[in-house]
Amino acid sequence: MKYKDYYATLGVERSATPEDIKKAYRKLARKFHPDVSKEKDAEEKFKAVAEAYETLKDGEKRAAYDQLGSHAQGQDFRPPPDWEQHFARGQASFDDIDLADLFAGLGGRGGFRRADPNAPIAGRDYEASVRVTLEQAFHGTEIQLDVSVPELDDNGVAHRVPRVVTVRIPRGVTDGQKLRVPGKGGKGVRGGRAGDLYLDIAVTPHRLFRADGRDLFVDLPLAPWEAVLGASIALPTPAGTVNLKVPSGTRAGQQLRLAGRGLARPDGSAGNLFAIVQISVPTVTDDAQRTLYRQLADASNFNPRAHFEREATHEP
Amino acid sequence: MNHEIAEALSLDERATLTLDQLVEMSELPAEELRALVDYGALAPVDPAAATWTFTATWVVVARTAGRLRRDFELDAHSLSVVLRYVQRVEALEAELRALHARAG
Repeated sequence: MKYKDYYATLGVERSATPEDIKKAYRKLARKFHPDVSKEKDAEEKFKAVAEAYETLKDGEKRAAYDQLGSHAQGQDFRPPPDWEQHFARGQASFDDIDLADLFAGLGGRGGFRRADPNAPIAGRDYEASVRVTLEQAFHGTEIQLDVSVPELDDNGVAHRVPRVVTVRIPRGVTDGQKLRVPGKGGKGVRGGRAGDLYLDIAVTPHRLFRADGRDLFVDLPLAPWEAVLGASIALPTPAGTVNLKVPSGTRAGQQLRLAGRGLARPDGSAGNLFAIVQISVPTVTDDAQRTLYRQLADASNFNPRAHFEREATHEP
Repeated sequence: MNHEIAEALSLDERATLTLDQLVEMSELPAEELRALVDYGALAPVDPAAATWTFTATWVVVARTAGRLRRDFELDAHSLSVVLRYVQRVEALEAELRALHARAG
């Protein structure tokens, strides 16, 4: 079994009072709790802090933990011989046990020892972050997840059981969306229901498309003459290239909507794809082209700053 | 090796849940969930119904409430206030994402 120094995790002395331990936990929870914190690695840090507090806040668990003596963080150690009677029913091996699972089994929340030792116990829920590409979000995908949930053996001792679960992600998932996979968390014991697997979806930023919910946005650079005269453009979409008719007189910033080309909604409809027009200006080095631009400037009475002049005439 | 494929379900308004199911999923006791409904932090489909049902969209809120209650030892009223802030932050983040998506 690997030793975890819960006192060091909370930053308190081994002689700390329950009040000191609570204060240290509250300070760290406020800083790292994933629901309120944007700190880097907040979730991992909070898990370690919560695990330490879960044991040290409880007098019985803290006393059992203190019996282990003091070791270096992560050091392998053997628990005292009387631990088997304390934590398990009958013979049990502690070799592959996580310290946190062991203390969770000693009364309290999520405890495996109940007033009725034959009562059903529900399996644990398991949460996992899943990163998908925009194409996977668009089409749906299958992913394999390594799930490691504490499960009870016949002696009532929790072991981490590594499993690989293949999950079908429906099409149209969005960044930040939560999905539930029923019954794929920890197994229940004595007829208790299995826990669920909860997935937190993160969509990797795409080189072309940006998503807002189920609408997608893509920048559409046009040459000035394409914007003025209109054009037929081959536009990439997550479902493949489509032909987009750009009307004549299209302005920069205008959004051309391609209905139903965004991400699928659960009701079967889909978001839209918006092509945001940008006017790209070529670098003109050629005399012939420069001459043509001059001729255009002379022929046109277009004034893109007419509103400046209107503003100036209204000034006091 | 087990090749069974599990379906990931979207937690949207198409599915509804009973209060007991929400208790299981959130690890919050029923009385705390009722208090959160009283404070407006959770909304059943029909608050006047004899037996409440909730759309699955509330699972995420209820599970967040369950975590916050457990990890910060909050009562239902404090929980409802914190949830309000969490939702405001989420709404602002969504607005920011929308602006980035449109502006590039």
